[in-house]
Amino acid sequence: MRLSEDVSGPTVALKERAVLLFREHLGAVRRRTDRLFAGLMLAQWAFGILVALFVAPYGWRGKDGAPHAHVYAALFLGAALTVFPIALARWRPGDAATRHGVALAQMLWSSLLIHLTGGRLETHFHVFVSLAFLSLYRDPWVLLSASCATVADHIIRGFLWPESVYGIVDPEWWRFLEHAFWVGILNMVLLHAGRGMRREMREVAVRRAELELAREREEEKSAALDRALRELSGFQEHLIRVEKLAAVGQLAASVGHELRNPLAAVRNAHAYLSRRLSRDVIGAADDPRVPQFLGVMERELGACAKIISDLLDFARERPPALQPCPLRPLVDEAIGVVPPRDGVRILNEVPESLPVPCLDKEQFRQVLVNLVQNAVEAMPTGRTGQVSVLAEGQDTGPWAIRVIDDGAGIPPDVLPKIFEPLFTTKTRGTGLGLAIVANMVQRHGGTISVRSEAGRGSEFHIHLPATAAAQAA
Amino acid sequence: MKRPAIARGMWVGLGLLWLAAVGVGFALLTRHSLTPGATHEAPAQWPQAAHPPRAEGRPTLVMLAHPRCPCTRASLGELAVVMEHARGQLDARVLFLRPEGTSGDWTQGPLWRAAAGIPGVRVLADEGGTQARLFGAVTSGHSLLYDAQGRLRFSGGLTVARGHRGDNPGRDAVEALLREAGGSGGTSQHAVYGCALEEPPEVRATNTP
Repeated sequence: MRLSEDVSGPTVALKERAVLLFREHLGAVRRRTDRLFAGLMLAQWAFGILVALFVAPYGWRGKDGAPHAHVYAALFLGAALTVFPIALARWRPGDAATRHGVALAQMLWSSLLIHLTGGRLETHFHVFVSLAFLSLYRDPWVLLSASCATVADHIIRGFLWPESVYGIVDPEWWRFLEHAFWVGILNMVLLHAGRGMRREMREVAVRRAELELAREREEEKSAALDRALRELSGFQEHLIRVEKLAAVGQLAASVGHELRNPLAAVRNAHAYLSRRLSRDVIGAADDPRVPQFLGVMERELGACAKIISDLLDFARERPPALQPCPLRPLVDEAIGVVPPRDGVRILNEVPESLPVPCLDKEQFRQVLVNLVQNAVEAMPTGRTGQVSVLAEGQDTGPWAIRVIDDGAGIPPDVLPKIFEPLFTTKTRGTGLGLAIVANMVQRHGGTISVRSEAGRGSEFHIHLPATAAAQAA
Repeated sequence: MKRPAIARGMWVGLGLLWLAAVGVGFALLTRHSLTPGATHEAPAQWPQAAHPPRAEGRPTLVMLAHPRCPCTRASLGELAVVMEHARGQLDARVLFLRPEGTSGDWTQGPLWRAAAGIPGVRVLADEGGTQARLFGAVTSGHSLLYDAQGRLRFSGGLTVARGHRGDNPGRDAVEALLREAGGSGGTSQHAVYGCALEEPPEVRATNTP
């Protein structure tokens, strides 16, 4: 395929890239060939000197010998033929002028070596070998210039000194054509081979261009994907913010709703007390409804405080302050906080011999209070039941704490949502209790799970990693 | 990247200088190859003092040679061709110079052995160059052909350039004389290409190997 032609299939970008790669490759090949010839020139120079020293080391005048003229020729003329092409290869590698300079020097080297060997026929093959080496440039014009130099040498020497090139005194005038014919035949073979090599180089360039363009397309796709991921991440963050705001709104609504009832009761009690006190302050002391309303106010304000406290527990991200914390007394404290209920027994079944884990005492007491209170409240009205707190663990192993009740159990459709904040099935409650429990357990590096069966009760299972016990030990 | 015009011009100038230098070098080399050695007048009749005496009844060729001259290798090669073409009709001898004060090893080198290997050629040492002086030869490879009657028919070299083998007028002339029936006619003279056999001032001035 000729890259300069318009062909269907490859795009313009592909063709331009392929042409560029082909030129780069060809330039690299020619620079490499320049270096090869620089070395070859040096080798030829050394060879020429050796030939001169071997064939004609001395010229003689009687018994006095002096270096032969061929030795000087090999040294100085050889130096001239060597240094200039090496300089071209060194300072102008890959240039067309360098290739032609090398070609001319190489063909002149043939002449010099033929001369130094006394016109030996075998040395004439240096011409053909040189042409073969010059074909490595993959430039037909170099072969042409080298061949022209050889033909010109044959014509000039054939006219001035035919024996030096043809070996006979009086050759026919067209004898140079015979020599040029064989040079031309060799050139045709070399040109054919060179064209094949250039075609292969073009094909390689097209394949490389296809690969590079495909790689660039993949990189562009990858960059686009990265951009999309970044945008998606931005959207996700935005969505999280929106969800948080929505949650805050929902929470505010829920809290407002929860606070409204106790506050309304407080307001009613306060209104009554205000009216009663403004009418008769002294007589109010004997009014039995005054302490009743004061009790209502205290109870409802306590409920408000509980709601606010739950909200703060859920919202605060305080990391746990771990310290050795005996579990059984902690369970006793939690049970003591939970309001008792008729018919419901709460049992602390944590072994006294249990090793001391490392926990945030305040947070974990809150966890136990919430779980126990939840279990107590899960008991159907008018039924007796039992809530048990169990624990097991070792110094170097994981810990398990279980809160088990035999209440009504959790419906299967509700079970997956019980740890979500603001989710509640109770008529009074913020839906934060189990969410707070899950948060705190997670802050301790643990997990919490629940197993429940309708009508037979539930079991909350806290799993703490071994590090808690290890730190305590 | 486009190179500065000065650099390009400098390279063009260097290239022209290089071509000129190479041209001068090849011209000097060619001139050296084509510049013949000195020759003196050879005796028209076989010198009676020549040793060994000429062969009776057939032509005799004498080549005066320097035993270490690289150009003489080509002359011996051409002599071998002449001897092959002569088919035993020619008595040839090569007299290698042995200057005074040198040993036999100095003379009996590769050229001696090459000459001795040519069928029909006798190889002898020319002690002190007396035979060369007798035949008027001052350049290695100088060959003289005397006919059956002892008359000089050819004087000169058997090569056309220094150390260059191949067809040449000298060898052609010798072979033509050998083919000639009756052996009448003049003398053929040709240039000699080789090292100087002796070191006379006048020879030294003109014969540069």
